[in-house]
Amino acid sequence: MRFHDKVVLVTGGSHGIGAAIVKRFVKEEAKVYFTYLSSRKEAAAIADSVGKPQRVSFLACDVRKKEDVQKTVDQILEKESSLDILVNNAGIIRDGLFLTMPDADWSEVLETNLGGVYSFCKASAKQMMMQGGGRIINISSIVADLGGFGQANYAASKGAINAFTKSLAVELASKKVTVNAVAPGMVNTKMSSAVRSAFGDKIKDRIPLGDFAEPEEIASVVAFVASDEARYITGQIITVDGGLGLLSRR
Amino acid sequence: MQNHNNEIIKNVKSIISQALKVDENKIELHSSLIKDLGAESIDFLDIVFRLEKTFKIKIPKGELFPEKLLTDARYIKDGKITQAGVEELQRRIPGANWVEFSKNPLVANLGDVFTVGMIVDYLSEKLATANK
Repeated sequence: MRFHDKVVLVTGGSHGIGAAIVKRFVKEEAKVYFTYLSSRKEAAAIADSVGKPQRVSFLACDVRKKEDVQKTVDQILEKESSLDILVNNAGIIRDGLFLTMPDADWSEVLETNLGGVYSFCKASAKQMMMQGGGRIINISSIVADLGGFGQANYAASKGAINAFTKSLAVELASKKVTVNAVAPGMVNTKMSSAVRSAFGDKIKDRIPLGDFAEPEEIASVVAFVASDEARYITGQIITVDGGLGLLSRR
Repeated sequence: MQNHNNEIIKNVKSIISQALKVDENKIELHSSLIKDLGAESIDFLDIVFRLEKTFKIKIPKGELFPEKLLTDARYIKDGKITQAGVEELQRRIPGANWVEFSKNPLVANLGDVFTVGMIVDYLSEKLATANK
């Protein structure tokens, strides 16, 4: 098992891609901590579903609040001697036309998607540096590269994550901490259901591989980037989009 | 006091060895962190974090190593630290050998000031103050 007793923290692990990442790491024998925002019941259901209760814990955390984030990392480090892998997955969408976009929708998306990444990296990087290495994986989106109608806030947050990822990778490389981003395209999750239902199967015509990704397929890539096999990869934005980006650039 | 210092020296050498991945036997009190031991900016942070953890102390930003001073136009001119800059460094880091540095205050020579001995002196004073 690649991750036997590695300590992993996944933000936003109750749903979609986050839940799939939690399950993947538990399956590979890691000790997984994940955060949830509001529903303890949903978090408990994910934890129950992995069938290895001793390997998974969940913590309430609003990633927009720095004190919550620091407390989460401190709680983990009270129990564990290391934090080996951080997956910044927590994210929201508040789609809407830019000209009528409420300021709150802009702020909330930036504070959650980008602010959460910033705060968790800040709270974890010191530990990773002192323990002699670690893996940080930020969940981005193909929208950062392509843009998205009604997604100025979401695209801005993900584009910033990409730039942040590259810069932090340079700063932490000498300490053997790698920082990468995984940028999914269309994934079969609740969060993307609005787009999928609005366009129906037509949107699949724009994807060269002709289908949506399953959350587990994104989790596979995250697991690879977190593994020892990816030791030499840092500062990269790894796109997992079925080729969607290729056609859109034509 | 001598034993206390020996303990500090031993711990400081061990911390620097871990942070910079250099053989502990190659670390001397007069070793320059940058020139002799190859430290980069992030290594200074690493050293501060490890010192805080090992000695159970809080080192305020810029107290052991200067921050932001080198990007302040008031303190740098033509590749040299100005008189005001040297005075500011002296104020912030009184334990370093600023007299020697002042003779040729090139930014490039600043690394010579940050020695293993400077960290030991800083800690000795800090711990002595804390124990009073």
